[in-house]
Amino acid sequence: MTELWVKNACVIDPIRGINGDIMDIAIRDGRIVESVSDRAEVIDAERCLTLPGGIDSHTHVSGTKVNFGRYMSPEDMRAGRTKRKGKMHVTSGYYVPTTFGNSYRYSAMGYTTLLEGAMAPLEARHTHEEFTATPHQDMMANTLFDGNWAVMDAVREKDIRKTAAVVAWTLKAARGYGIKLTNPGGTEAWGWGEDLTGIHDTVPHFAVTPAEIITTMIRANELLKLPHSVHLHCNNLGKPGNYQTTLETFELVPDLNDARQTLYATHVQFHAYGGGTWKNICSKAEEITRLVNSKPQIVMDMGQIMFGRTMTMTADGPMEFNLHCLHNNKWSNHDVELETGSGIIPVTYSKKSTVNCIMWAIGLELALLTKNPWQCLLETDNPNGAPFVKYPEVIGLLMSKRYRDEECAALHAGTEQKTSLYALEREMDWHDIAVMTRAGQAKALGIVSQGKGHLGVGAEADIAIYPIRTDSVDPAREYRKVVEGFQKTRYTIKRGRVVSRDGEIIVDGANATFWVDAKVPEDIRMENDPEFIKRFEQFYTVRMSNYPVQDVYLPRGRCIETEAFT
Amino acid sequence: MRVILESKVRSKPNLPIEAEAIIPRNFLKGTDHVVFEGNKERTLSELFWIFVEGTAVSPENIEVILKGDTSRIKRVGEYMDTGSIVIEGDIGMHCGNFMSGGTIEIRGNADAWLGREMRGGTILCRGNAGHYCATGYRGEKKGMQGGKVEVSGNTGDFCAEYLAGGTVHIHGSTGDFPGAEMRGGELIIEGDATRPCGNMKNGSCVILGTVHDMLPTFEKIERRVLPEWKITADVYKGDVANRGKGNLCVRSTGLY
Repeated sequence: MTELWVKNACVIDPIRGINGDIMDIAIRDGRIVESVSDRAEVIDAERCLTLPGGIDSHTHVSGTKVNFGRYMSPEDMRAGRTKRKGKMHVTSGYYVPTTFGNSYRYSAMGYTTLLEGAMAPLEARHTHEEFTATPHQDMMANTLFDGNWAVMDAVREKDIRKTAAVVAWTLKAARGYGIKLTNPGGTEAWGWGEDLTGIHDTVPHFAVTPAEIITTMIRANELLKLPHSVHLHCNNLGKPGNYQTTLETFELVPDLNDARQTLYATHVQFHAYGGGTWKNICSKAEEITRLVNSKPQIVMDMGQIMFGRTMTMTADGPMEFNLHCLHNNKWSNHDVELETGSGIIPVTYSKKSTVNCIMWAIGLELALLTKNPWQCLLETDNPNGAPFVKYPEVIGLLMSKRYRDEECAALHAGTEQKTSLYALEREMDWHDIAVMTRAGQAKALGIVSQGKGHLGVGAEADIAIYPIRTDSVDPAREYRKVVEGFQKTRYTIKRGRVVSRDGEIIVDGANATFWVDAKVPEDIRMENDPEFIKRFEQFYTVRMSNYPVQDVYLPRGRCIETEAFT
Repeated sequence: MRVILESKVRSKPNLPIEAEAIIPRNFLKGTDHVVFEGNKERTLSELFWIFVEGTAVSPENIEVILKGDTSRIKRVGEYMDTGSIVIEGDIGMHCGNFMSGGTIEIRGNADAWLGREMRGGTILCRGNAGHYCATGYRGEKKGMQGGKVEVSGNTGDFCAEYLAGGTVHIHGSTGDFPGAEMRGGELIIEGDATRPCGNMKNGSCVILGTVHDMLPTFEKIERRVLPEWKITADVYKGDVANRGKGNLCVRSTGLY
């Protein structure tokens, strides 16, 4: 039995409605409890800001795509080198660091739970292996269904039950957590050498449209009672004028769930462009946020970009090809059999480029114009918009108008007319930031019931104590202190153990991997469906019996079971 | 001032020594420097007999001379900015990394990565050089950006890859893909070469010997006399596969 007692903590816990109260937190065996004995180890938080452990609801840190990014950029491994020290492994890399590099840096920033944004089911084993080497965070993997042949066949037949059965079987086989749609239909069309221009175009050879895929998958998701909603990367990412597609997509979303959103739209910054060419591109964040403000069933995340060098990696193969034609730099493209594809290229976001400046402004506009912080979460689509180590700077920008003004002064002169950022006065408070970096994520991912994102009795003891005194720091003026404070926690506590102290890792981690097993009725299970088995054996390069991930790949797997169809 | 470093006989002569401390500027403050032999930290005097002749008030007057078996010493002259280094025998990998000034003379052969990401200064190699002579780091978009590398013998593959500035002059032949991904600067190969200048963006390359396996993605402009080399050569533009605007002058082409 291990006990820990955190005293004098200035707690902000939005899920329980606590905003800056000085409290003590008692921890026993990894869970928060009412009280502990007097033998418990004591941590004096000295009235510093104490939040539930950070949760990143969309990041790319593990799996084949990330690893191929590492292959492609040996030069990145010259940055961020740290030596082996105590319990810490060697690390290297800046925008595609080693798995331990990712884990340690997230831990130093107080993050304890991550959702890998896109895992191709066929390549799930690699992702789970890297999860075990990302030891300080609990992991979940969104599973890609955007070009899944069985799903598209079921969608064409307008059979929601069958769609749900395919999803349930695949999630269980891949040990995945939720449904990710990346440019639905578009990546599959690209596999046939074609491209889609909107959500009502027909995917060649499958006679379905992206709109049908999205709406059917949303209903299948609710039928399966999955903890997370459909996680959507809209069509036409990164194309000037694509905000129309985004608005059309959002209009399709019904409100089907009381506990959480019905659609999670990811990195919306990349989907909020007006104009028609790169020359006249402008921000349409106002249009997007107006719709989101009126539709509580949608939650989005910022997809903020930050200036500097990084790597873009996504299952959206055609988009990466278009970007490659623009940059004429290295490029990788990959097709995953009957499931999806991917593309990777390095980019440098520059303040000299009007387009990049507008992208930077749009991310902030989205966050500042969304009235309810629970509906716009903070992330950079790591590493696509910027490596996650830039989160503290994003927090600083959201909390300080003065910081934004200083940054804006260095931007390309054409930015001001194309965006509304310069006129926005809103400055977020500590509570908003706590929502956007942990509570909102926990609610959106449906893991509040797993004890994540809050500090109530029974919750997992994932706690981040930042060296910030909220009563004496004025974030609007002293934004540097805010940025520095969020870069390095005083203590990061993971499941009741102090894992990181002043940015230094002090224990070997032991994370868990959450996955979902949705129980569907016997008669429509895919393993009993002769047609599904026949097509599987016909088209895949692996046998169906070899396809599911064995439990040995998840040494600390935590299965969330749902009773579907009831 | 002259600093002579004569390598001592080592029990394991193949163990590489990482000696980025050997640059003239460092010897202004004495000879007490640290290098690595394998994973062990050593002082210079453990590995070398050190002789110092004369004194110097500024680093440009310092000459470092390496004698004996120096073929496994890596990173000599890394970040060197002034003065001179003379290596009487062979030298190991990564000699003259990031060098920005001064001169390095190698009287024997140089191993791979000679003058990697060099910004200025001069490297003279009297023997042969290994692969990746005067290039950039793997994955990096800019290689050598200034200065001069002259090799009297031959070089290995990927000579002057990602060359972005400065001059590379090879008196002998090169291996496969010299000048690949060139961005600028000047590459002169007096001997033969195979598949030169793939994906070249800019800069100029002259090959006075025979080119084997000329890439088909170069557009022939004219055949003319190059007065400075006293030859008649085919002038190509390319690499047109990727909108390159480089210049490639080739005296003759042949197959294997």
